[in-house]
Amino acid sequence: MLQLRISVLAVLCGWVVTVSADEPRLRDRIDESVASAWQREKLTPAAPASDAEFLRRVSLDLVGTIPTHDEAVAFLDDVSPGKRDALIERLLADPRRAQHQADLWDLILFGRNPPGYDTDKRDGFQTWLREQFANNVPYDVLARTILKAEGNSAEQGAPLFFVQYRNQPEDCNEAITQTFLGIQLQCARCHDHPFEPWTQLDFFGMAAFLARLEVVQVGKKDELTMWAIGEKSTGDVLFTGPAAKQTPGKKGEPVKPKFLHGEPLVEPPLPEGFKEVKFESNKPPPAPQFSRKDQLAEWITKSDNPYFARAITNRIWSQFFGRGLVHPVDNMSPSKVPTHPELLDEMTKQLIAHQFDLRWLTRELVSSRAYQLSSNGSTGEPLPNWFEHARSRPLSAEELVASWRVATGFDVVEAAKEKPDDKKPNSRSRFKPLQWEYVIRFFGQPNNGTGDFQGGLQEHLYLNNGQLGSLLVTGPGSLLDAISKSEASPEERIDRLFLSLLTRRATDAEKQRFAEYLASDKNADRLRDAIWVLMTCGEFRFNH
Amino acid sequence: MNPSCSPSEHLSRRALFKGTLATAAGGVVMNFGGLTSSAALAEEVKREKKHCILLWMNGGVSQFETFDMKVGRPTGGVFRPISTNVPGTQVCELMPKMAQQMDKVAVIRSMRTSEVDHPGGIYLMHTGYRPSANVRFPEVGAIVAKYHGSEGSDLPNFVKVSTQGDAGAGFLGPKYLSFSVGSRGELPTFSASPHDPAHELRRHELRTFLEDEYARTRKSDLVRMHRESYEAARRLNKAREVFKIDAEWEQHRELYGDSAFGRRCLLARKLVESGVPFIEVGQSSYDSHADNFAWHKGLAPPMEHAWAGLLVDLQQRGLLEKTLVVWTGEIGRTPKINNRAGRDHYVRCWTTALAGCGIKGGVVYGESDADGVDVKDKPVTEGDFFATIYHALSLDPKTENLAGVRPVPLAPFGSKVVSELFG
Repeated sequence: MLQLRISVLAVLCGWVVTVSADEPRLRDRIDESVASAWQREKLTPAAPASDAEFLRRVSLDLVGTIPTHDEAVAFLDDVSPGKRDALIERLLADPRRAQHQADLWDLILFGRNPPGYDTDKRDGFQTWLREQFANNVPYDVLARTILKAEGNSAEQGAPLFFVQYRNQPEDCNEAITQTFLGIQLQCARCHDHPFEPWTQLDFFGMAAFLARLEVVQVGKKDELTMWAIGEKSTGDVLFTGPAAKQTPGKKGEPVKPKFLHGEPLVEPPLPEGFKEVKFESNKPPPAPQFSRKDQLAEWITKSDNPYFARAITNRIWSQFFGRGLVHPVDNMSPSKVPTHPELLDEMTKQLIAHQFDLRWLTRELVSSRAYQLSSNGSTGEPLPNWFEHARSRPLSAEELVASWRVATGFDVVEAAKEKPDDKKPNSRSRFKPLQWEYVIRFFGQPNNGTGDFQGGLQEHLYLNNGQLGSLLVTGPGSLLDAISKSEASPEERIDRLFLSLLTRRATDAEKQRFAEYLASDKNADRLRDAIWVLMTCGEFRFNH
Repeated sequence: MNPSCSPSEHLSRRALFKGTLATAAGGVVMNFGGLTSSAALAEEVKREKKHCILLWMNGGVSQFETFDMKVGRPTGGVFRPISTNVPGTQVCELMPKMAQQMDKVAVIRSMRTSEVDHPGGIYLMHTGYRPSANVRFPEVGAIVAKYHGSEGSDLPNFVKVSTQGDAGAGFLGPKYLSFSVGSRGELPTFSASPHDPAHELRRHELRTFLEDEYARTRKSDLVRMHRESYEAARRLNKAREVFKIDAEWEQHRELYGDSAFGRRCLLARKLVESGVPFIEVGQSSYDSHADNFAWHKGLAPPMEHAWAGLLVDLQQRGLLEKTLVVWTGEIGRTPKINNRAGRDHYVRCWTTALAGCGIKGGVVYGESDADGVDVKDKPVTEGDFFATIYHALSLDPKTENLAGVRPVPLAPFGSKVVSELFG
């Protein structure tokens, strides 16, 4: 396994960072690679996704919501051959994409219940994230900004990441290596890893880069506290080596910074008679004599770092294909062989050549035939190992609310109000009319925090008996009005229901059953039932 | 994926990866406890359903004011001992009802555990393990739910009534998560349907039609699971009557004592009767750093009344022989009485108690020294305590589940069952 790692390293270091014009497009390489795996594994791929299936999937994946009724009709009735590519371009340029990506990365970097004081108020950080994605900032720049943590958490935003790990360099090290390098060092915190090449010295060599950080309050902006990340010029980790190597009664030498499986950090000596400064509140902390943190940020985000580019490539792949080529994406230990090794190498290489342009990578992934397969495979497996059908995933809390609001017309009705109900909109306003607390409680972590989904009983109590009725507003643009005030035939109205909620037309059987159900409707009671059915059914709950 | 788990185990755990939205939060690779030997054990024990009620003394009840009195010693405190229905065994005068039930109870006076503060202690005394950065250990309730629970039952397999503990199902996965009801046994928000039954049924039938249509043409594990939990939520709606105990409470008020904790204990008995394998019932707040004696004078009588009533009720219904009743908090209290007449946290020597499910009554196991400072004889660790609990519930404490690739026994490696407690 060690050999494999070294060979990967060698390949990475030897890459030439240019793109030649006659190189095949990445999307074609993806399709070749997955097709050859199907052949080897004797698998029959699913049929291509229908236009309706593709439209719903790519909308949720790129902008975090289902399309409106009108958008669905326009796309389905469009007969031009390039309509899928045109749709992808439109969604990639959609301003909602920045919000969706920011939601996703906010979860990756903080989770729903981040550690650390005051990290539940992330408006500054979230605004910064949105700007990064709106401007398609290269990923290495984005990561470097987080890791360098310049400025403060309210105005610049990025420094909030470290606030989670105040005075916890070991926890911080685990988070950084897991998030940005896709490797898990936590076992090596207490003992050398039994079957990965991580030792305790490796762990603390990396943690040493973070041992001098201190969280400093530098002021207030509106209701947000401004936190800055100060760095001292002295201080070390509280670890002097494995227990077996220690001499009783003797104080050992603290472990010094060393890049993971790389060189020790060369540090300039402190000036003669140097006196450590004490950080004061409400003053930006002065820069250290020499920043270990900045050295770590540079090393992590270099294109020839052996883990960084592979980790983000694998992560973005899994965003659209469900399963990483190494899975899970934050545990790409050297002993794990990718399912498609050449493809991961190729994608990584091309991403580096494209200067970590995630929008480009996203475009290639969703333009591949593999992404555009139907999710209706023969096994029902949500995350197929060989990508022989498209993956299925639950909608996030944010996606669910956004989609319900689009489907019911709540958005349109709300936008038409002359005086908005909400005098002081904030980051939770987009959950209205539902309560943020409930939505996050029931849908925020459908996965027990570990990546695995299992439908819980509690979410259905909310779906069945909770607040969904408040989304069923009336007025111009609302779904209720569009159906109940329509002169169209029952079949056409039912089509409209299905297009609004499930981005597809109803089948004949569905038209018949729903028409029967709605035939004796009074006061739109039964219509509300029908909408509830479509809002809570499995087809709505998942992106497939 | 773990190569050692069988396909059937993969199916049953139904753990499906969600994708990028969640991966960063994860620690080790989860496979939710899949291990073939564990599946075989599950089959075996399910033939012989057992139950467990955990009476959780939150904050840490004092051993000196309950079962380990130090009369005439500087650490003894203000209360007097009273005789019990077991010759030679005395308990605190605050516990007259339990004094008459001691023939059913085994007291362990030699607990020595390893987490001296509340969060760590709560974790430890719910899981048997100390908190770890790398492994999310499941609570005993999740383990009992796994081995003694039934699939497709109307009621959840792990119910918590007004209690602490946030380790949850850990690496066993969300299938074994607890279902919490309020401090008076009320169901959580949104558990009642706003519609009349006919309306409810009508829209349910339309929903069923749509889900059937979907399932007819498409295979999706996610949608199937989603539908199963929808059905579980509906069944809970039907079973909600179990949680309504007002009528029964009138008849049992005397037996359990007129207290909120008494009501919770009655609910626990009802849930056992309805087939729920694990119920945790909590009482706060024993953290008596000041005014320890006043606190215990207020808290212990309603607690012990309810506990005694529970034991009597279970026995009268023939449930005690298959229901283990565990009494513990997260820590004990210091022998030294501080200058605020309080007792602080103490885990070097403290007391827990067990009853039912094959536990020999009338036993006092282990011994503390004259002042209750240290264990004089037969120390019992948290691991031994949990091994004993699992043994009583017909579960081999050495049974392993997988946390990622790491096999984790039910009770920590090296734990010993306190076999003297069994008849």
